[in-house]
Amino acid sequence: MFQIYLPVAEISVNLLVMLGLGATVGFLSGMFGVGGGFLLTPLLMFSGVPPAIAVATGANQIVATSVSGALAQWRRGNIDIKMGWVLIAGGVVGALAGTLLLKVLREAGQAGLIISLTYVLFLGVIGALMLVESLRAMRRARAGKPVRARRAAQHNWVHGLPFKMRFPDSRLYISAIPPLVIGAVVGLLAAFLGVGGGFIMVPAMIYLLRMPTNIVIGTSMFQIIFVTAVVTMLHATLNQTLDVVLAALLVLGGVIGGQFGVRAGQKLKGEQLRALLALMVLAVAIRLLFDLVLRPADLFSIAPIAAGA
Amino acid sequence: MRSALMIAALLLPLSPCLAQVAVTPEPAAPTEGVQSDISTREISIQSNFTGIEILIFGSVDYSTTPEPEKAVHDVIMVVRGPSQPMVVRRKERVAGLWVNGEERVFPTVPGFYTVLSSRPFRAIASAETLKELGVGFTNINLGLDAAGDPIEQTFRSSLIRLKQRAGLFQEHDDGVTFIGRSLFRGTVALPVNVPVGLYVVDVYLFRDGELLSRNQSTLKVNKVGFERLVYLLAFRYPFLYGLIAVLIAVAGGLVAWAVFRRE
Repeated sequence: MFQIYLPVAEISVNLLVMLGLGATVGFLSGMFGVGGGFLLTPLLMFSGVPPAIAVATGANQIVATSVSGALAQWRRGNIDIKMGWVLIAGGVVGALAGTLLLKVLREAGQAGLIISLTYVLFLGVIGALMLVESLRAMRRARAGKPVRARRAAQHNWVHGLPFKMRFPDSRLYISAIPPLVIGAVVGLLAAFLGVGGGFIMVPAMIYLLRMPTNIVIGTSMFQIIFVTAVVTMLHATLNQTLDVVLAALLVLGGVIGGQFGVRAGQKLKGEQLRALLALMVLAVAIRLLFDLVLRPADLFSIAPIAAGA
Repeated sequence: MRSALMIAALLLPLSPCLAQVAVTPEPAAPTEGVQSDISTREISIQSNFTGIEILIFGSVDYSTTPEPEKAVHDVIMVVRGPSQPMVVRRKERVAGLWVNGEERVFPTVPGFYTVLSSRPFRAIASAETLKELGVGFTNINLGLDAAGDPIEQTFRSSLIRLKQRAGLFQEHDDGVTFIGRSLFRGTVALPVNVPVGLYVVDVYLFRDGELLSRNQSTLKVNKVGFERLVYLLAFRYPFLYGLIAVLIAVAGGLVAWAVFRRE
């Protein structure tokens, strides 16, 4: 009942399970205000979707999340469009590199391993940092101390670089190199891991570029729309790993789940929310690590070879 | 005389006694042959496709079987789907992690392979005949002769095991049933993941280990409707396909924003 055959992934999945997966990740991303790609791609891999297809399809789903997020931010005037385009320019280059990297690894039969390892590394580090930070914040809140104010904007090494550009919305006059590099790193991650990359971009924009915090989220979402769209196109054309049926199910589940997540998130405290998210991120990292370390049930695997390869 | 024989022939199934009388005077019996066909010539895969069972049936011309219980003939049916190159990889432990290590490429792996026989096929014909006809998992031509190399043998048997687990390779020793003296049938279950393309069904007729006759028929497996559209777009027009996927996602995001926004 409700079994649906995914034409590109070439597996049969349960319609309700995939809708539920999209809704769960949408709910979490709405609740925590994150893209959710770093949870979606591993969860798809856990449900038997081949890693390369999980990445491409995950990236496609993030287009939807970031469109609705960016629109909400745009109406509040929270997007630095000019900065966004520079980040996108870098992102497209990174996306191309990431897609080609995945193609090479896939042909060598190592895509699953490297994707999993990169996830373990990223999720492990980010989850641990978030957990420590949120626990500290909770302890401080209990002790009644005020949360430390953000340091005033200072000039750092970033401001010494050439090719300076004016970004009026961010009230910045900085070199175009750092946003291009940040964009490229995010594009690489998007293409290789099927994530939006907001978890890297937002801190980088705040601490490296010194952008005002109120426009950071909107600008990152603006960039993510275009970069994940480009990633989707690249995977569809170069790797043929995009499954549109699966993507549509995830988009549908995701937009519904997302709205309930936003409401649920408003009822929880920030530190608790972050601690909860940190625990989830760590759980996914541990599960991925286990799959790499434990002896697999079957040592052998088979894969078709593309006629062109 | 002639009309009497005809009457006897008509009565043949009814009276074994008369049949004896009628058959005896016949001059040198014509050689036995086999005819066969498939219940369907074309299978259309739609999104609600969950697998299908096909019937392969046939008859033995000029059967010499004296009575249904004492069949003298054996039938082997082989169904082969379109073949493609496949790679088999073995995981090895590297620095505590299970990593794909050694691999072997088999250039012609049938996407579907099934053997049906009226009794265990190894008892029907000699090993050489079976090998020549490509009957049985061990005799499938995968385009890589692994006979001498034990490692390649392991890869070969793993490939077959994995295909078997997916329901794409099957061996059924009692898959063919005789109905009466000359009619026979066998059913093959095509699972949900059957590859598209042209399938070839070979039916072999044996008596006392000797191949008497063979017959071939074909079956087309196609994707139709939505499935075909998606498949075509994804592999022939990937740019358009990617664009559609992006548009679906953008539309999803717009709808979500429009429906749920709160000012």
